[in-house]
Amino acid sequence: MRLARRDRRAAPETIVALIDVVFFLLVFFLLVGRMDATAPFEVTPPVAVRGADMPGGGATVSVGAGGALALDGTAAVRADVLTRLAGRLAEDPALRVRINAHAGAALNGVLPLAQAIEDLGVPDVVLVVTPGGP
Amino acid sequence: MQITRKSRQAATVSLVAMVDVLMIMLVFFMVTSTYLDLDMIPLAEAADDTAAGAAGAASAPATRGAAVIMVRIGADGAMVHRGQPLSSDGLADLVARQVADGLSPDLVLLPSAWADVQALVSALDAAAAAGALRTRVIRLEPQP
Repeated sequence: MRLARRDRRAAPETIVALIDVVFFLLVFFLLVGRMDATAPFEVTPPVAVRGADMPGGGATVSVGAGGALALDGTAAVRADVLTRLAGRLAEDPALRVRINAHAGAALNGVLPLAQAIEDLGVPDVVLVVTPGGP
Repeated sequence: MQITRKSRQAATVSLVAMVDVLMIMLVFFMVTSTYLDLDMIPLAEAADDTAAGAAGAASAPATRGAAVIMVRIGADGAMVHRGQPLSSDGLADLVARQVADGLSPDLVLLPSAWADVQALVSALDAAAAAGALRTRVIRLEPQP
């Protein structure tokens, strides 16, 4: 007598769990991430114990360790940065400008720039720092 | 004769395309987002100095006057007061002495042009920790 073996079908794998995990990861990265234009050079902000929470929005001026400048992720010279900021300020009088300076950048490339930005009439100029321990 | 109609199976919706889209979005956000925890220190605010000073004077306890404490920040980042090196604790003592004398300490920082940003931020931190009500930074002329 010949026994016929029943054709075994592989059980269909459910991908619902995979979707759940991917969705949770997506929401996590959306919440914890910050969508900022990164400077075309290395910028490590200075460490501060008593910084305030930084709200989003506004323009970001990056200053590299050697004094290189970038506005919203695009390399630019000082005059160009000021011209473009003046244009942005005309569109939004409450513009916030964040100066994201490298911790090792010399102050003679940062403080005069902050002064020039303030002289444009920008009402809110802040220095970006990283929270750190004492 | 009765004709029996075969029961129709509901068409299954494939979720594979959705997983693909989610995966692409996940990778996009992982790659383009920055995950640095950033704070800020205001350099210039909308309220002008006179208004802020007046508001500060109104809210501060009664004092006999303002005492200006000038602190230099050297190119090496060290703080100097009246020619003497000044530590963060020393600055706190200085401010505390002025407050004990009934004076409102007004801290003025004069950084060297070659001091780095971290030195200024550390000095501002020390000033805030010392309890200085008002801290000002003397700005430098642009490098020629």
